[in-house]
Amino acid sequence: MHRGRFAALLLACSVASPVAAQPATAATYVLDPEHSFVQFEVLHFGTSTSRGRFGPVAGSVVLDRAAGRGEASLRVATASVDTGLAIFNARLRQADLLASDEHPEAFFSARQFRFDGDRVAEVRGEFTLRGISQALSLRALRFRCRQQDGTEVCGGDFEGEFLRSDFGMTHSLPLVANRVRLLVQVEAFRR
Amino acid sequence: MKQLLVAAAAFTTLLGTAQSATYLVEPTHTSVGFEVSHFGTSTIRARFDKKEGTVEFDRAAKTGRVEINIDTTSINSGVAPFDGHLKSKDFFNVTEHPTAKFVGDRFAFNGDKVSEVSGTLTMAGKTQPVTLKAKNFNCYTNPIFKREVCGGDFETVIQRSQWGMLYGMPAIAPDDVRLVIQVEAVKQ
Repeated sequence: MHRGRFAALLLACSVASPVAAQPATAATYVLDPEHSFVQFEVLHFGTSTSRGRFGPVAGSVVLDRAAGRGEASLRVATASVDTGLAIFNARLRQADLLASDEHPEAFFSARQFRFDGDRVAEVRGEFTLRGISQALSLRALRFRCRQQDGTEVCGGDFEGEFLRSDFGMTHSLPLVANRVRLLVQVEAFRR
Repeated sequence: MKQLLVAAAAFTTLLGTAQSATYLVEPTHTSVGFEVSHFGTSTIRARFDKKEGTVEFDRAAKTGRVEINIDTTSINSGVAPFDGHLKSKDFFNVTEHPTAKFVGDRFAFNGDKVSEVSGTLTMAGKTQPVTLKAKNFNCYTNPIFKREVCGGDFETVIQRSQWGMLYGMPAIAPDDVRLVIQVEAVKQ
């Protein structure tokens, strides 16, 4: 093939479908529902840390480790919140906190991936809770890919934090802290 | 007179000093969980949903005793088949050992805050020494109970092999398991 025509063809391809066409080095990973959960932590009366779990987190991640790019599209049912105490869970689902009836899902959508070598180091995107979207950065505490039964599994631990008042959750401030820490466990199978 | 003093001393020993108080563990702000690495990739978390306990605590004398009883059948990882495996003989063996217990009787202080609690942890019928390190500690007057509440966050890393829990070691999950404990207790 003539070099000029090849270049023109490449250009046409990239212009025609800048997002849909994944480069050959990109792979899609689907979250493992047994190893994908979000834990939140919030300080209670400046004394002890209350924790709860959401999950499993569902969704998929596209990783192009060669190009240093990625894309994540994740969601979790807000009514799945589990603190270990039914009365506490029910309180958290109410309209002034998670508003689970009106907003049954929370979302994380991210296209800014930072890599450290071929490991994901940070994912920046948009977190949507109670229908309110805010920027959120999740930093990798660890990240690893492994082979398991002939399938590649990638995953890690991520942490991030947000102010719950930014999402309109002001109940019992400041006795229960505004700052919420998220600890995200995620593992995903290559499709 | 001498007999009276001996009697008074015995009485004091029995009750503790005047500042010693009993605190009842408050279940909505008490949680016992653990973390373990999964294939060196991500961290699995689980907790026990049912627990109760009491704390004897003397801030002036800097002494205390805590006893927490944990219902091992209440283990909750969010994954039902995994909970079933954790309840089996490979791990907590809950049919034979439905209760785990922590008894801490040596309190270390940093100023007037508890910094460490040492004692024993009984799981799957085996008792081993552990020291819980405080990440947070504080006492405050709770506006709902109108009583003093003391509590904090405690952590330690244990080796599960000491309690005979060897399954999947070391390929699936290592020997080291982090205990993550929230506790608040209301003065009685």
